[in-house]
Amino acid sequence: MFCRNQTARATVARGSALEMEIRRGKFRKSVFLDTSQQDSDIQKKIDHEIRMRDGACKLLAACSQREQALEAAKSLQTCSTRIMAYMSELQRMKEAQVMQKVTRRSSDAGPMDDRLPCKGKVAISDLRIPLMWKDTEYFKNKGELHRCAVFCLLQLGGEIFDTDMVIVDRTLTDICFDNTIVFKEASPGFELRVELYSCCSEDDYSAGSTPRKLASKLSSSLGRSAGKKLRAAMEPGPCSPISNGGASPLLLPVPSVAGPKYHLLAYTTLSLSNVQDSFRTHDLTISGNEECSYWLPLYGSMCCRLAAQPHCMTQQMISGRLKVKQCGGDPQSSTKVYAVLKGTSLFCYHQQEDVEANIEPAFTIAVNKETRIRASEKDPHSNVQNICISNQYGGEEVTHTLTTESREDTHRWMEAFWQHFYDMSQWKQCCDDLMKIELPSPRKPAPATPKQGSLYHEMGPRPCTLHQLSRSPVSPHRCPQLALLSSDASLTSDSDSHRSTSPCSHHHGWPEPSSNFSLLSSSPSHLRPRTLSLDAKLSTLRGRGYGGGGTFHCSCQPPPSSLLAPLPISSRSPRSQRSTQTTLSCSSSTSSNSSSNSEGSHSPAEGAPFSRPSMARRSLRNLRARLDPRNWLQSQV
Amino acid sequence: MSFVPGQPVTAVVQRIEIQKLQQGDNLILGFSIGGGIDQDPGQNPFSEDKTDKGIYVTRITPGGPADVAGLMMGDKIMQVNGWDMTMVTHDRARKRLTKKNEGVVRLLVTRKSLEEVVKQSMNKYPRQ
Repeated sequence: MFCRNQTARATVARGSALEMEIRRGKFRKSVFLDTSQQDSDIQKKIDHEIRMRDGACKLLAACSQREQALEAAKSLQTCSTRIMAYMSELQRMKEAQVMQKVTRRSSDAGPMDDRLPCKGKVAISDLRIPLMWKDTEYFKNKGELHRCAVFCLLQLGGEIFDTDMVIVDRTLTDICFDNTIVFKEASPGFELRVELYSCCSEDDYSAGSTPRKLASKLSSSLGRSAGKKLRAAMEPGPCSPISNGGASPLLLPVPSVAGPKYHLLAYTTLSLSNVQDSFRTHDLTISGNEECSYWLPLYGSMCCRLAAQPHCMTQQMISGRLKVKQCGGDPQSSTKVYAVLKGTSLFCYHQQEDVEANIEPAFTIAVNKETRIRASEKDPHSNVQNICISNQYGGEEVTHTLTTESREDTHRWMEAFWQHFYDMSQWKQCCDDLMKIELPSPRKPAPATPKQGSLYHEMGPRPCTLHQLSRSPVSPHRCPQLALLSSDASLTSDSDSHRSTSPCSHHHGWPEPSSNFSLLSSSPSHLRPRTLSLDAKLSTLRGRGYGGGGTFHCSCQPPPSSLLAPLPISSRSPRSQRSTQTTLSCSSSTSSNSSSNSEGSHSPAEGAPFSRPSMARRSLRNLRARLDPRNWLQSQV
Repeated sequence: MSFVPGQPVTAVVQRIEIQKLQQGDNLILGFSIGGGIDQDPGQNPFSEDKTDKGIYVTRITPGGPADVAGLMMGDKIMQVNGWDMTMVTHDRARKRLTKKNEGVVRLLVTRKSLEEVVKQSMNKYPRQ
């Protein structure tokens, strides 16, 4: 394989991963026949990625924990995608070289006249994809907590980056990726492809293909634990070409490894027209349907901040010594300056050293889309062409005349100006103002508990009851109307009886009392996250004998001394009455009252004419208001 | 202020900067919000378009920080400190406003009267 005297032969290092792949017959060696520098760069990259991919496969086969397996599968997917991208780039370069040879032979190609726009940095950050859970799923939270692991792959040109992996279940309202991804060399016609991959996060990963509905029927009929395993084992097979992320038959196949496989859930393509200095919402194209195990109910949009810094805005385009004269000013005086063209201005410094010393320029001439630059006629005395720059400053035209030291300099400056204008016309809105791009800070060590929106992670598996809306144990809550809501709802919690009531007040990362929708209870026997429905909680309270004879405080009425007298509700013995009508009117009056209440333990100086109800009572009322989908929630901030 | 999905939303906005006020353990802004993509937009009393799921100011505490800064009831909040609020859930909106380590929030809000003012001023000075 290695022949010193034949320079046209490809040299593949012995023992490299590439050689192994060639031996295995996965690559055609002819693909690597050219030894130009670019090709060897790409070869090295492909080599590197193949090594990474082999490592990920080994890790996947070896690891036992679900989180590790998901991470390994994610790196596998990323490596595969990168390999495919490099291969196709290699292919394109081959074709370009062949084309060049052909054109060179056929005709004398003149110097390429086309002007190329400058490249720039493109950064995408703060990706957020809202989810749209059904009312029934979200509020009642019945059944298994179906979780998916998701991440995004972002591809621009030849660069592919992946975001961190996020576990999503129905307690989350959005998928958020905190990463900032910066692509260094992007042309103005860039296409940034964003792909969202997801993978069902269950126990077994053997291949198989059963629609989810059938699987859930099976699982429910087989009994909970057996059925869950069975259902997890049957997820849509990974063998279809689509699930390989669009692998084309030319390229090497993804090695089939047992373990979690990611499937493409949604994608979109962003370009220069989507670039803006603030957040924008973009549409997502969703692939997959409800039957797939990796399905998540996406709202259909994605919010992100896409910023671009073309190099013409951040780098010096040209600099040199000039003499500047302002028309309309003193006709004889022209100032000698050292001028630097950068961004939308021509900075004129007194001396060259001022540029490094960061001293303010003597003056600045704007060079933007409205500027007109032309070369003036030759000055008969000095035989040097001048350059005139005209700007409109609020209705008045101001012209500066630049004189360079030689004719070549003039030509150089004009060329630079033309290139600059061309860049600005190509990069359009990115050249109006410099957009800020935050460089991703050096990675902080991952927190011990994954930061998720789910309550379970923040709590830790402690056997305590969390009354997340109040920091004190539930005080005797004597509001019987709340019991009405639970009239026909089934109780989902089965751990009510032996739940301990120790308050858990200070949790790591706990934002505010009423910040999350789910109540948790983890008794010593199960550590699964359970979101209790309001009904279950209320029936528990009722069971403890808290019902009967409650005062109902509302902000618009003075605190009633007797039971329900002031309230315009017909029912007087609410526990016995379970008519839906009463329930409805009760809840609506409650909600309208509670919505004007303040949340949390502090109410600002409103001058509200009510005695402060206890926190638990008010917060429980708020909880009901929040969970009832008929309401239009209001929150005090 | 209806929007077409996929199209950019344009609105005349006013910048409002609110300094949070320390009250006990909390930093408060002194107003209430309603709305969100997980809420029923038909019940929003302030929106013109009853399919608008944006975040609206529903109440202002008189004399509170928001009142002092010029926020008005019925304003639609478009951005908070650069974060978009036109497509957020109610909870996320509340969280964006109540971050503990931020002492000041800069809002971009829009209201009907702003559009009116701009239209009127444009009529006064027609393009020449």
